[in-house]
Amino acid sequence: MQKHSDEALVAYLDGELDADERAHVEAWLDADPAVRDRLLALAESATLVRNAFAELVTEAVPEQLIAAARGETMQPTEAEIVVLRPPRPSLAPPPSSRWYIQLATAAGLFGLVVGGGLGYFGNSILTPPHVPAERQLQTAAINSWLDNAAADYKLMVSTGDALVDVPASGDNGDVIQKVSQSLPQPVRLPNLQPWGLSFKGARLVVLEGRPAAQLVYNTDNKAIGPLALIIGSTKQPDIAPTFERRQDLNLLYWRHQGRASVLVGQSEIGYLWGIANDVAWQLDAI
Amino acid sequence: MSFRWNFGAAPERAASRVEPVSKRFSDQLIAVLPRLRRFAAGLTRSASEADDLVQAACERALAREHQFQEGTRFDSWMFRIVQTIWIDQLRARDIRKEDGDVAEERLGSDEPVRRVEARLALSEVRRAVTRLPPDQRLTLMLVTVEGLSYKQAAEITGVPVGTIMSRLARARIALQQLLETGAVERRSARDAEA
Repeated sequence: MQKHSDEALVAYLDGELDADERAHVEAWLDADPAVRDRLLALAESATLVRNAFAELVTEAVPEQLIAAARGETMQPTEAEIVVLRPPRPSLAPPPSSRWYIQLATAAGLFGLVVGGGLGYFGNSILTPPHVPAERQLQTAAINSWLDNAAADYKLMVSTGDALVDVPASGDNGDVIQKVSQSLPQPVRLPNLQPWGLSFKGARLVVLEGRPAAQLVYNTDNKAIGPLALIIGSTKQPDIAPTFERRQDLNLLYWRHQGRASVLVGQSEIGYLWGIANDVAWQLDAI
Repeated sequence: MSFRWNFGAAPERAASRVEPVSKRFSDQLIAVLPRLRRFAAGLTRSASEADDLVQAACERALAREHQFQEGTRFDSWMFRIVQTIWIDQLRARDIRKEDGDVAEERLGSDEPVRRVEARLALSEVRRAVTRLPPDQRLTLMLVTVEGLSYKQAAEITGVPVGTIMSRLARARIALQQLLETGAVERRSARDAEA
């Protein structure tokens, strides 16, 4: 009977009883103070357990796990080695004798687009010969704006607040409004205080050839470090969040519904993913 | 510096697998990683063991991507994979030897005292959870921590809803007793020090 009673109390707390069962338990609770105490104790232990594990979901996800989720840690099995075939045509068409023309085209465009950011981070543009030209161009364009985003970040860190166009104030809504005046579409300021990141100000930069806002955040937490979030408008197709590195910088970029965003910092990649999720949720951008 | 492929796996990586990993599937997996880590933390006895378990689950999920049915809950599917691997691991080793040997990897030595104390309290609850029998621990994590319904937990664990109810009730009561015992022991130790 006691076993049955405990099950009913736990199911009552979990909202798993139907109306009749609930009424039965409530009548029982009304009649017996000891049962009420037991219910409270059970509720308290459930809350303790939830709280004990709550913080784990906001912890940075280790880079190794993200790599595992991307299939980058899988070792080919013996069977897989046996069945290895040449890359499928869709991934790797036969090398064309004209691949160097495609490469030259991409490199030429890259040179036009990149401007000051080109070569600053020494990012390789040596594209494999079998990559379609359209994809080469897309890759080159993305590389260029990531180079620029990284360069802007380095500049921001090395000069401190000196280059911030609109410093943070008591009314950050006003700050964002001022910055938005120079942009094709207004930006919003994600609140990253839960990550210990304080908003320091905004700068106007260029992203994908258009004016964009670089929102600068700072923190004492060295695992996260100073962080820049660049938000601009784009006419390019959507891209899911993608990770890149430039020297010692981690970058996470995505495009969604006409908005391009880049998170740049020396933060551990796990933190960066967590922060990106948070930013996306706040901006409804992913 | 190596070339990075922005729209899928790098060619050399793709060549080492029979099928390339779909980006959409990977993105779903990445999104659920924080919850998988939490779930695994409740099942295992250290953070590193939990992460190893999640990594193994990711690799198995990627290898069985074709088995996932669109329209069903991805998180439930992943919880089931984590659970299966964990049970295999339990069977493969003598876990009794590890009783009481809970790593405190999450504690930092340079944290403020108050935060360390709070973490110790949380750590005590987590340790109590890991001392529950495996079936109770699993049910408690799925329902109480991950917020799944009894029906969903029953589907993941492959037992009837009634079994979920009884496991959960036993887990909650055992946990309450473990925490009370821990509190009494802590008070006794403090009194002895005073």
